[in-house]
Amino acid sequence: MTRLREDATARHALPPPAADQALSPLPPAVETATLSKWYGQVIGLNDVTVTVPAGVTGLLGPNGAGKSTFMKLMTGQLRPSKGSITVLGQKVWGNPAVYFRIGFCPDQDAFYDRMTGLEWVTALIRLNGYSDAESLEAARRALATVDLLEAADRKIGSYSKGMRQRVKLAQAMVHDPDLLVLDEPLAGMDPLGRRKTIRLIKDWAREGKTVIVSSHILHEIEAMTSNILLINHGRILAEGNVHQIRDLIDTHPHTVYIRAADPRGLARHLLSHDDVISVKFEEGALVVQTAAPDGFYSRLTELAASGEAGEIAEVTSPDDNLQAVFQYLVK
Amino acid sequence: MPIHDQSYRRYAGEREYAGKAWLVIARNGIATIARKRLFVGLLLLAWIPFIVGAVMIYLNANFPQFTILSMTAQRFRDFLNRQDFFVFVITVWVGAGLIANDKRANALQIYLSKPLTRTEYIAGKLVILATFLLMVTWVPAILLLLLQVAFSGSFTFLRQNLYLFPAVTVFASLQVLVSTFTMLALSSMSKSSRYVAILYAGAYFFSHAVFGVIYAVTGSTRLSWLSLPGNLNEVGDIVFRVQPRYSTSPAISVLTLAVLVGVSIWVLERRVRGVEVVS
Repeated sequence: MTRLREDATARHALPPPAADQALSPLPPAVETATLSKWYGQVIGLNDVTVTVPAGVTGLLGPNGAGKSTFMKLMTGQLRPSKGSITVLGQKVWGNPAVYFRIGFCPDQDAFYDRMTGLEWVTALIRLNGYSDAESLEAARRALATVDLLEAADRKIGSYSKGMRQRVKLAQAMVHDPDLLVLDEPLAGMDPLGRRKTIRLIKDWAREGKTVIVSSHILHEIEAMTSNILLINHGRILAEGNVHQIRDLIDTHPHTVYIRAADPRGLARHLLSHDDVISVKFEEGALVVQTAAPDGFYSRLTELAASGEAGEIAEVTSPDDNLQAVFQYLVK
Repeated sequence: MPIHDQSYRRYAGEREYAGKAWLVIARNGIATIARKRLFVGLLLLAWIPFIVGAVMIYLNANFPQFTILSMTAQRFRDFLNRQDFFVFVITVWVGAGLIANDKRANALQIYLSKPLTRTEYIAGKLVILATFLLMVTWVPAILLLLLQVAFSGSFTFLRQNLYLFPAVTVFASLQVLVSTFTMLALSSMSKSSRYVAILYAGAYFFSHAVFGVIYAVTGSTRLSWLSLPGNLNEVGDIVFRVQPRYSTSPAISVLTLAVLVGVSIWVLERRVRGVEVVS
């Protein structure tokens, strides 16, 4: 196995991305040159020179790695401290004209609980210059795309975590942007919601658009794309094909936190498989360690769909395993 | 034979940045506040002085025994002075949450990822508060003036008091400008609209109280520029060509208000961002 190391002058290239992305005739969606951002004494992003092609690109790194800073630079919310960034061929800072072509889904909740999903998405799309009728039509279409049309007239305050994620996704894609920037879009979603969202992101990219999606969970990214950027401590550690890094990660146990109606019943199902290393119970939830995350997640999705183990409300993964791999990479 | 697609097609043209997103912010904000019945009640209450003024004009025009009620520049000045209370209440009610609520909901990062600049965002918020403030200052004052002109039966009043139109406009604009910028700056500094309301009320009354204490001790009104309402009153008296109530130079009051607005703009520039930058 090739060990990947980071040094100050060169990034390590992983094998090239899938052929469809490598041979894409479309111009790069994002290009940076020695891009840096610091907050006082703290470095958010450090000397990043990278080109993001059309299609889906995963931005993978542990919490605090600089993913959100990079995304906020891409969406023009932060001014670079040094270097440059162009998005869809245009400079992005202070250029609202390019924001018509960008959809951004932040990691934090960012809405008024007293508004309905439809009101919120409709209000935001008006900022793109749509008329009232166009706004309503586009908002309904976007909510239908994320399977939220039935709950469109409910207050956002009554939404589950997964529904909140989906309504954020709806506002990002409502104006049909060329570039979607999604910061941890799957965090807190139930297994079925994850599967639908992953399919949605892949479909979006198939229309020739670009999606940049961040996560600290490799298998989530892997389900969407083979093209990844590994980021840690504000630097791009590696870029290219996901498969090599996945081998490294598979050697470390993967931790999954599951909030479920019947944690003990769910544990019984999960423990019948050899890849489950341990199960720990918390209030209304269980924390599972698995040696084979791919198989584990597909079984979990099937269990959620069948309802055999009761309702599964939320699935999250702490980044301990990924952090361990990063420590290994930069040793 | 080619078969044409007759189904719904998405808009495929260019959407150009027109710099009108502030209108969307303003319109949404005004509509949201105007839906609150209690607030509409307050607006109606704020128009009672106008109704009283209109009745006075009517009586003065039609019944000779009411000539004592004739409208003068001082009466128009007093009318706007009485509206100060409503200006304060509406500023606190409408303004405190304008930016604070967006910050609490983390909505700024979403707004500013849309085709909306920070300047447009602030302009939209300013328009929301300014609209309601003008509805209780400039609009009723100008209507009163028009009523007076209409009922006077000649152009004498208009010829003698033509300056009242710009005076009302300048003073109402000043009131609105100072109140909106100050309140928005405070609103951008917190995520709690209650805290902002208390802060604004504190600054308003505390500054006046400090001046009051100094006046009580020294008997002089030279330091009226320390008081926010004091500065507005001083400038208002000059604009309406009535006897200034304080001995402070009007230039100092104007300068103080200009500095206040300048500081507010500086605060807004630093605090209205999609991302909290801690340095």
